[in-house]
Amino acid sequence: MMFGEPIASIGAGARRVAQEVGGIVVMTGQVLRALVPPKLDTRELWKNLYKMGNKSVAIVVLTAAFAGGLMTLQTGPFVKKLGATSLAGWAAGYAVLREIGPILIALMFSGRVGANNTAELATMTVTEQLDGLRALAIDPVRFLIVPRVLAMIVMLVALTVIGDLVALLGASVVGHFMLHIDWSTMYFSFADNLRPTDFLHGVYKSFAFGGAIAVASCYFGVTVRGGAVGVGRAVNAAVVASAVSIMLLDFFITYLSA
Amino acid sequence: MRERITALGGGVLEAMRAARELWLTYVATIAGIVRFRRGGHRKGDIARQMYAIGNRSLVFIIVTLGFIGMVMTYEACLQLSRVTGDYSQIGSQFIRLIVSDFGPTLTGLMLATRVGAGIAAEIGSMKVTEQIDALRMSGVLPIDYLIVPRFLASLVMTLMLATLGGAVMYLAGGLTAHYSFNVNTSIFFDFQYLRMRHVILMIVKALAYGAAIPIVAGFCGLRARGSSEGVGWATTAAVIGASFSVIVLDFIISAAALFLTGGDL
Amino acid sequence: MSFIEYKGVHKAFAGKPVLRGMNLAIAKGEVMFIIGTSGVGKSVTIKHLIGLLRIDAGEIWFDGARVDQLPERKLAPLRRRIGMVFQSSTLFDSMSLVENVALPLRKHQRLDLRAARARAHELLEQVYMADYADRFPAELSDGMRKRAAIARTLALGPEVVLFDEPTTGLDPVSARRIDRLIRELADRLGVTAVVVSHDPPSIFGTADRVALLYQGTVHAVATPAELRASEDPIVQQFIQGRSAGPMETPGF
Repeated sequence: MMFGEPIASIGAGARRVAQEVGGIVVMTGQVLRALVPPKLDTRELWKNLYKMGNKSVAIVVLTAAFAGGLMTLQTGPFVKKLGATSLAGWAAGYAVLREIGPILIALMFSGRVGANNTAELATMTVTEQLDGLRALAIDPVRFLIVPRVLAMIVMLVALTVIGDLVALLGASVVGHFMLHIDWSTMYFSFADNLRPTDFLHGVYKSFAFGGAIAVASCYFGVTVRGGAVGVGRAVNAAVVASAVSIMLLDFFITYLSA
Repeated sequence: MRERITALGGGVLEAMRAARELWLTYVATIAGIVRFRRGGHRKGDIARQMYAIGNRSLVFIIVTLGFIGMVMTYEACLQLSRVTGDYSQIGSQFIRLIVSDFGPTLTGLMLATRVGAGIAAEIGSMKVTEQIDALRMSGVLPIDYLIVPRFLASLVMTLMLATLGGAVMYLAGGLTAHYSFNVNTSIFFDFQYLRMRHVILMIVKALAYGAAIPIVAGFCGLRARGSSEGVGWATTAAVIGASFSVIVLDFIISAAALFLTGGDL
Repeated sequence: MSFIEYKGVHKAFAGKPVLRGMNLAIAKGEVMFIIGTSGVGKSVTIKHLIGLLRIDAGEIWFDGARVDQLPERKLAPLRRRIGMVFQSSTLFDSMSLVENVALPLRKHQRLDLRAARARAHELLEQVYMADYADRFPAELSDGMRKRAAIARTLALGPEVVLFDEPTTGLDPVSARRIDRLIRELADRLGVTAVVVSHDPPSIFGTADRVALLYQGTVHAVATPAELRASEDPIVQQFIQGRSAGPMETPGF
């Protein structure tokens, strides 16, 4: 029957998604259990913090600058037409702090650090290094995964804070040079209209995004199957899962905090 | 200190070299398209790539753009409710932003991760398992065989998905405004400010992203070295490169449009 | 009961049976080689012992206690007494040799960094790799990585060491060095060695006893000399490395 096939494939797809979600939930549980009481390898933690921060600062700063500039390009002309230049900073800044900043930075982070992490863990799994750890009675979750998850969350929050500031700067630069809006107008527009809660809202989000990216990237890295081909597929899956999680979490957090 | 500067200089040179190779890849792809037209190829290839890119990203795009449309509308309405309480403009402004920017760009970003990773992973694995060399031995140019079909397919599919994604965003936004803020749907779904220039912007951006993603991803895939680590690196680099290209292209095209229209968007 | 004992072990992968009622007894302090064609289940057999894989049916006993049903959490003591050297050497790429060997020492014996590195140096000396202590795995040849991996496995002083194809892919000189190391471990340290291999010089030069795995069960268990003199056609085909004969090799 013609209808059987697409329905069957949707069903199979849904079952696969359910399996992955289940596996991710299990891993989250393992990570949480290892945190209470916190027993993890601190050397690995510092090593990962350094590595991840190093890798991603440049791209995040660049992205944030462009994003801030973009927002001004979009909202600036409209604001100028209405003659409300004092609101220019608010229009761009509000969106940046609450939405665009955290989401874009998280997406970039997922692409740079998340994908890299998945690739590393996948390669370690394929070359039996993970089994090697277990054979030495070292728990891979405590030794490898928990430090990476913590490092990713901490890093993403830090990067979002930095990125937000750079984005506001980028917005000002574009406002000044391309829309001829005064520096001081922008600055006061930010200061008057943006509240600390707006900033914090973005930070909460980055916390959640960081957790999602971290667990997804570790999960797909460790459950890799097959050799080199499997590694590529694992990275692909991790990146897609992270993107979807970011959007979903953004939605829920926005609704819940209103 | 001197080490830092040397490293920075080295990094810049490396980046310039990579950029040049990327440009050459682009040129080679265009050349490959011309050859394609004349030579005749496996027709199934483009269709298969369109399926791989389009069909399999469909749910992904609908879900992600739908949610983001809901969130944006919600936030905007929330702010408006505190300031003016007047929702009459929100729908008309939203569609303008969706068509000229958010629709194609968010679709482009999502596809940069999904399609970029997929293409780089596929081509990267082929590279490290020496299948690319095998292709060359059989007298086939990897660019022609691998990248050109994906390039053409991506151009078409990105445009289609951007349109669909934008529509989903708008729809999701309208529903959110209606159910959470009681905005009348006839007021929300208002196309009065939509101009031809916005649609042109959308098409230009979607095509630009559709061109950039497979080139960047294919480029990274072909440069993969080693074994599984090489594939991992290629995929990571592709996702970052493609995403960043989308953002930079967005900025350039938007700025150019602003300049050309004298600030009237 | 022997030191290590497999009783009626069954294992299938994706519906295909690999081990079908396998029985094997290994005595303390002996060097037991497990041989057979590719895919017959040799690596699977030793991985079961330390719980990296789970059997479908049967029992596995170690030192008078049953071990096949221990949950992951409870496997740590077992894994300290039984070490494994993997086929792909599995050194951690991000650490130097001495850091690799020191890792289990720091984790399990709570030695501080300096004491752990000192002990790691000693272990590397035992495998004749002390000169390369600060090098990284990627810089070394396969044979050297294999020896370093052995040093790491010895760090916790295990009573049993499992070797998964230790000489496969090595040049003949390196391979003989590994053989000699395994023999030294058994003779000098009293380690029980279970070696999966299909390398004839290793088998006949190092083993105390040899178990031939065929079609999911242990087809024959004997000393190398007895095996050579065996009249069983299947044994003879494997030992002489003939492609023609009664042995069924699925997949060819």
